[in-house]
Amino acid sequence: MTNALNLYLPQATTEPRWVRYLLISFTLIFLTLFLLLPLIAIFVQALQEGLTAYWTALVEPDALAAIKLTLLTAIIAVPLNLVFGIAAAWAIAKFDFTGKSILITLIDLPFAVSPVIAGFIFVLLFGLHGVIGPWLNAQDIKIIFAVPGIILATIFVTFPFVARELIPLLQAQGNEEEEAALVLGANGWQTFWYITLPNMKWGLLYGVILCNARAMGEFGAVSVVSGHIRGLTNTMPLHVEILYNEYNFVAAFAVASLLAVLALVTLVLKTLVEWRVHQQMQDQT
Amino acid sequence: MGIEIRQITKTFHQFTALKEVSLTIPDGQLVALLGPSGCGKTTLLRIVAGLEVANSGSILFHGEDATFQQVRERRVGFVFQHYALFRHLTVFENVAFGLRVRPRSQRPSKEIIKSKVNELLKLIQMQELADRYPRQLSGGQRQRVALARALAVEPKVLLLDEPFGALDTKVRKELRRWLRRLHETMHITSLFVTHDQEEAMEVADLVVVMNEGQVEQVGTPDDIYENPASPFVYQFIGHVNLFHGRLQTGNVRIGDLDITLDSHTEVHQAPVVAYVRPHELEISRESESTSIAVTVNSIHLLGPMVHLELLPQNSTEVLEAELTKEYYRQLRLQKGDKVFVKPRKMRLFMGGK
Amino acid sequence: MLLKTHSVIPGFHLALGFTLLYLCLIVLIPLSTVFLKTTTLTWEQFWLAVSAPRVLASYRLTFGTALLAALINAFFGLLVAWVLVRYSFLGKRFIDAMIDLPFALPTAVAGIALTAIYANNGWIGRYLEPWGIKVAFTPLGIIVALTFIGLPFVVRTVQPVLQDLEVEVEEAAVSLGATRWQTFYLIILPNLWPALLTGFALAFARGLGEYGSIVFIAGNMPMVSEIVPLIIITKLEQYDYEGAAAIAVVMLIASFILLLIINLLQWWSSRRYH
Repeated sequence: MTNALNLYLPQATTEPRWVRYLLISFTLIFLTLFLLLPLIAIFVQALQEGLTAYWTALVEPDALAAIKLTLLTAIIAVPLNLVFGIAAAWAIAKFDFTGKSILITLIDLPFAVSPVIAGFIFVLLFGLHGVIGPWLNAQDIKIIFAVPGIILATIFVTFPFVARELIPLLQAQGNEEEEAALVLGANGWQTFWYITLPNMKWGLLYGVILCNARAMGEFGAVSVVSGHIRGLTNTMPLHVEILYNEYNFVAAFAVASLLAVLALVTLVLKTLVEWRVHQQMQDQT
Repeated sequence: MGIEIRQITKTFHQFTALKEVSLTIPDGQLVALLGPSGCGKTTLLRIVAGLEVANSGSILFHGEDATFQQVRERRVGFVFQHYALFRHLTVFENVAFGLRVRPRSQRPSKEIIKSKVNELLKLIQMQELADRYPRQLSGGQRQRVALARALAVEPKVLLLDEPFGALDTKVRKELRRWLRRLHETMHITSLFVTHDQEEAMEVADLVVVMNEGQVEQVGTPDDIYENPASPFVYQFIGHVNLFHGRLQTGNVRIGDLDITLDSHTEVHQAPVVAYVRPHELEISRESESTSIAVTVNSIHLLGPMVHLELLPQNSTEVLEAELTKEYYRQLRLQKGDKVFVKPRKMRLFMGGK
Repeated sequence: MLLKTHSVIPGFHLALGFTLLYLCLIVLIPLSTVFLKTTTLTWEQFWLAVSAPRVLASYRLTFGTALLAALINAFFGLLVAWVLVRYSFLGKRFIDAMIDLPFALPTAVAGIALTAIYANNGWIGRYLEPWGIKVAFTPLGIIVALTFIGLPFVVRTVQPVLQDLEVEVEEAAVSLGATRWQTFYLIILPNLWPALLTGFALAFARGLGEYGSIVFIAGNMPMVSEIVPLIIITKLEQYDYEGAAAIAVVMLIASFILLLIINLLQWWSSRRYH
């Protein structure tokens, strides 16, 4: 709709035709160089030696183990951050309390922390020389250089995603519908379950999609805590790194292409959900 | 007894929204809470509903103390200003909501809910639109759904927050009449908030005028209009002309004018303000001892009535007068004419400049 | 009592309690360990760790490349946002969706893909080599990687503001005799400043901490193309936890200051327009 409108914008508030074409060309060249070319390169490199080599790289046991670990990490990290996101959004959007703006800033904190430092802090906490590392070692519990460490680091880096999407959405929706439900006799859970949750489902899904993409693709933080044990503590991005450093480029790009497909699926879902969220925001007015 | 409000005080931080408000809403009546924005009327309504908690005071429903009851226990019907319809539910599901969320032991069966909701949809003339979503409805339709939803739980009292505030004038008038008729058939104790005096006068059995967190006057619409209890009510309900003067042992002196009163003989010297409604100003071509000389400043013909703006001699404060078109023709008034006005009726309030 | 005003909506204590507990367990307590660790160092040891020549070189590199990449992104981000909002052309929706690719693509994947393109024999690298321009395995490569990573920030902060700008304002400017360039420079650009600065700061902050996309393309030569996060990892591998913590503290403080600036910028822009 807007496209059509823009076409017929009065001449007074747009640029001459040649300027428009120049700017569009610049943009397209820039985006092709910086976005499209790398994306295409991944698939070209992966298929360089044919489909068989590509397939072999994907079904090799270490690759399969990496895929499994990546899925496991996302399956644990995403729901935890989802529950947190709902709780945080409920508290922040529905109530007025002291220290609210500080809380919002603190929720964003993990975005400001380098992934490497995100991994490092868990080493300092649970590593052999860490705060509670020696005690954990005595109990024979391994967190660093093991799966729990990978999951913890992933939870940290994906911590704000769902909350960030839900807080503004719930704030925009206000409290009237919840009040109406309570006046009509619904209890707290009924109000949440029948009114709030359906109203925020698209925003929730949006946050989950972004959270999941980051959880499956995280490299820096996971790299620090993983220990890079093949078949055991390698996620897909770490597996890509190992293959690449061994000059096994075809295999590295093959696994990378799976992650690129994941990114593309994420973009498609994100665009679809964005459209729904946008619609919902418009219904508000 | 319908609703009894006793000594309610409510503050938000520094701001006092309500100051010891006491009020009795008779059983089965339709009552308007009228006042300018920020006068505390919506806060009072929300306290009655249980959506806000008062700092002190109590609320009784039909003689029963409800002050410490939760919202959901109060069994009130509340119609929100912006309807607050559940946007992801259809019209039918919106109306059915209150019945469906009851505890299992009190929940009616599916068939009963269905027939009940259909009955209500018939009442609001929206049976055909039962499967629509709120966004597919017009403002007036949404308002009716909000009302049906509130009525579905068979509330003891019905509370409406600016029920017609967001609608355009025509729909507003229709819905007003419709609400009046609905109340006549259901006789449910109802309290509605409005800032529109015309709306309050037309719909309500009883009008409560509020200002700055306090009740100024309670009375029937006619009572409020004819006998305003305070300068505020006088000015808030309809147009009014102000005359500043002095009271001297039963005599009021306004400019060159002397009016003898039957009352106030005990007051020796006091500033006073006289309030006169535009239609209470009598206009004539001839001077009298109790009339004021004015110049016709402008003339507006409005249907059967004529509004005049009059400029008194030695004053810049414009007077408003209202007369029938018939009488206006009789007088043959023209812009710039010099005429004389005399208050047919006025009300004095002590104070002023 | 934390609540400022009473609310009939239930669940405040449950929701806030869980939020604070989870925030402490996942973020605050782990983060505090870095600061705790540095307290085992004397002031002198700390200073030595954070000001070694190799570390200083890495600060210069990290801050310099992040700044340059953020500047490139501010320019191109504004251009892309402008073209996406104002013009219509074939494939616009596709391009719009693709802008977020750097958010969705794992950084390691971006790193190896960019390296493949900009290496001497890569699709672009082979055309640059005859000119004596080396991208991969030099600081230039880091800038390329950071430009890729930071691209969406500026576009996504400027785009909505540009979209909400009223055409009437521009029409008013034109009716008062302004040329198109004057309208852009005097009317449109001032309205975009807060968003542009916010996007720039976000891209810069992200660049400071970035690791995955850089390690592959940077070459990681000490004093030349070694970024701060890599130094932290190197120290970790040598079990020099105190040294790593000291440098991490410097980077964290820099990030927190940036976060504060970004919050102030957002507060400024919301105050200006709402």
